[in-house]
Amino acid sequence: MTKDELSTEIKYPPCKLACPILTDVREYIQLIAERRFEEALASIRNLNPLPRVCGRICTHPCEAACKRGQVDEPIAIPALKRFAADGPWKGRYKAIMPDKSTGQKVAVVGSGPAGLAAAHDLALLGHHVTIFEALPVLGGMLRVGVPAYRLPKNVVDEEIQAILDLGVEVKTGVRIGEEIKLTDLSEQGYKAVFVAIGAHKDRKLGIAGEDGFEGVVSAVSFLKAVNQGENPKVGKKVAVIGGGNTAVDSARCLLRMGAETVHMVYRRSRDEMPAAKEEIEEAIHEGVQVSYLTSPVEIFGEDGNVSALRCIKNELGEPDVSGRRIPKSVPGSEFTIDVDMVIAAIGQAPDSSFLDNELTERDKRIYVEDPYALMTTHPGVFAGGDAVTGPATVVEAISAGKRAGISIDLYLRGEPLPTTEQMEAVETAKLSPALIEKTRKFARCSKISLPAEARLKGFDEVDAVLSEDLATKEALRCLHCFLGARIDKEKCISCLTCVRVCPLGIPTTTKMGEIAIDPFACQACGMCVLECPVRAIDISLDPHSKIAREIEWAISRSQQVEPVIVGFFDLHGNFRSSDVESLRQDYPNILPVMVFGLRRVDTSDILKAFEFGADGVLLAGCPSDTDPFPETADRVKRRMAHARTMLEALGIDGARLEVCDMPDEGLVEKELIDGLIQRIKGPGQAR
Amino acid sequence: MIVATRKPFTEIKDLVSGHRKILIVGCGTCVSVCLAGGEIEVSILASQLRIALGLEGDDVQIDEAIVERQCNREFLVLLGKKKNMTDYDVIVSMACGAGVQLLGDVYDQKPVVPALNTVFIGIEEGPGIWAERCQSCGNCVLGETGDICPITMCPKGLLNGPCSGSRHGRCEVNPEIECAWVKIYDRLAARGDLERISKVLPPRKNSRRAHPAVATHEAYKRRFVKDEKIV
Repeated sequence: MTKDELSTEIKYPPCKLACPILTDVREYIQLIAERRFEEALASIRNLNPLPRVCGRICTHPCEAACKRGQVDEPIAIPALKRFAADGPWKGRYKAIMPDKSTGQKVAVVGSGPAGLAAAHDLALLGHHVTIFEALPVLGGMLRVGVPAYRLPKNVVDEEIQAILDLGVEVKTGVRIGEEIKLTDLSEQGYKAVFVAIGAHKDRKLGIAGEDGFEGVVSAVSFLKAVNQGENPKVGKKVAVIGGGNTAVDSARCLLRMGAETVHMVYRRSRDEMPAAKEEIEEAIHEGVQVSYLTSPVEIFGEDGNVSALRCIKNELGEPDVSGRRIPKSVPGSEFTIDVDMVIAAIGQAPDSSFLDNELTERDKRIYVEDPYALMTTHPGVFAGGDAVTGPATVVEAISAGKRAGISIDLYLRGEPLPTTEQMEAVETAKLSPALIEKTRKFARCSKISLPAEARLKGFDEVDAVLSEDLATKEALRCLHCFLGARIDKEKCISCLTCVRVCPLGIPTTTKMGEIAIDPFACQACGMCVLECPVRAIDISLDPHSKIAREIEWAISRSQQVEPVIVGFFDLHGNFRSSDVESLRQDYPNILPVMVFGLRRVDTSDILKAFEFGADGVLLAGCPSDTDPFPETADRVKRRMAHARTMLEALGIDGARLEVCDMPDEGLVEKELIDGLIQRIKGPGQAR
Repeated sequence: MIVATRKPFTEIKDLVSGHRKILIVGCGTCVSVCLAGGEIEVSILASQLRIALGLEGDDVQIDEAIVERQCNREFLVLLGKKKNMTDYDVIVSMACGAGVQLLGDVYDQKPVVPALNTVFIGIEEGPGIWAERCQSCGNCVLGETGDICPITMCPKGLLNGPCSGSRHGRCEVNPEIECAWVKIYDRLAARGDLERISKVLPPRKNSRRAHPAVATHEAYKRRFVKDEKIV
């Protein structure tokens, strides 16, 4: 798709657009807000075979794009993804298996996130997939690169197992290119190959003393050893060269393995540091020292062991092609730090030596003809992930795996491969200062982490999963981009009611006297939908027709326990899904309809409930401190007063319509329900 | 815009009593905007009738419809294409009085009853609030009165005011109301046009307001005159 189409036709929310695999972030966040956790997981899992991994280590470009970020802080998307993926419902997800096998064999070389994603998608398309893995364990960098305190090994193992359960075969300890050549695979019946070998070879520092002494270690080999439980020897005073995630992972592992001081040496300033901001903060919090604007010059040794690292200070010059400013050393600024170990973490390249003469390389990476189709110069051989792009993120690797899945499927069916221009990064539209001012601020949920001392005792996971309370509260901060009001121009009579009732001032009049509603700025409060006198406005979040349907549905499946009460509950309240369950248990006569605010409930909806056979209606609104649009509360109360008048005109006691605020915690006060039931049952009533 | 309000439910219920098949027809223009007879109000009235008549044990059929404008014959004919009008015992019109009458003209075999009281021609003061501004007197004097209508805004409809019942800018008829003539004076003064207030306005020409009034554009045929040549 092109940028033009995006701006006119496809209204993806910014979070989805920012995600390399176009995860429907908004959808699963909304499902969490609705306490539909299993469906939230399904929404993620249908697209992403590694949600628990991504919920922990994804670099979450979605968050940077989040509209809420312009108001206060973005939605804590990874924490919510992890909540959905880690919950006790996680085992219940069932992938939709293909009707029959295609009988085609596909080889996937490498079992990192790219290989796993491709294997997953290809298996679901009915192909027979075999993964070849050089190491004895599966998972690639997820297993041997990322430390357990960020990504516990059992999480990786469980997600991989779910992929293998789709019928994917595995051959570990087999390095393609050595025992089996790439060309041998086609002789063994594999019709296509996906090479996703990652980038496991550390770049050399290129300084004097690098090869001369014991204690100069490459970061990848160090992390590999740590992650495979080999307990590698660790120095007391260690320097880690580099500023990427590998460098930070190495530094934090070193502290956990007994290093007394860990010194990161990075040539640019903190702003340019490629590691994730949170990771850098955590490392510093745990005690890692960072020397910015510093480059290593020479490693010194004594008795064959590293003894010191000579460094030089830098200043930043003009930006290079990547846009980052080039560091220039300051003459005479050399200094020396005492170290007994140096870890080199200045970037990795694929270790493709064994694929010599079989695949074309460029810039030490495997070359693919089209970055979308991912086919190499060798027909039927596809490549993707870090091996093609150089070290990148887990979600980019998954994206490559998924694209390879599509290409390989098309290739096997003899259809042309897709070619697409790289999707341009589309910047999130800016909200007006007036709108930001009017938008109610809600604090982002804070992380729950182990204290630093406890962390350094071992490799226990640092961050905890969100509780249900925190997760739903966080999900309710979502501003529902593009789920808001849409005008049917055919029906609109430009009466301006929407302009008057919008709490945020979103609807405007055009020069032609028509009404325009900015679908990005609208936060889907729903006021205009109900106030529009000609019903020309509807909304995608809780459409009006959905509420009417839900009332009818709720009453139709009522167990005829009298009195039948339709209960509208505001999702913004502080309640848990178990509160809804216990309400169903204790009061089978109450039929709950969950809504994003009582604003969504119209006088006509209340009358409909009575018309369909309800004996009473209960409306429970959220406490005002959690209501994103408290200014509309008065309007809601008046609407209910009008509904009472309409009921009383029919001889129905208006007290059968109960409007209340939810308690600070929980769904509704029992006394209140009992009171309503008493009033309905009481003597002298019309019904 | 024409402003109407809904009749009390009991009055509507009496009007349809004895009928089993009822069609409620809303109007999509003025009365929709003043929240009296649009789609929402049709739905509310339909629910009310179903509940009330259902409570009395009546087996009734109540259908809902909305037309663009009930004051245009073409839209009402269109209604007949969407609904089988012979099916109904009574039609409830949620339009202004004009709409009710035209609906009755088009479907003259059926009783057509009003569900609204048409109250005035007015403006929207704010959400849910409408105010009268014009009595369609056929003799507009706004050009002399600082764009404030003394016929409508002065309870006495004085063409030359204020009267001696004006107290501190309020009206003796209803102290809640501002004296229209004080407002006229203030506005003319603010515009530097106070001279105008000394001009005596002649008595209203009530002949211009003969009922039933008809307005015919010169370029069109005149009503009731057959075979007139259009030049």
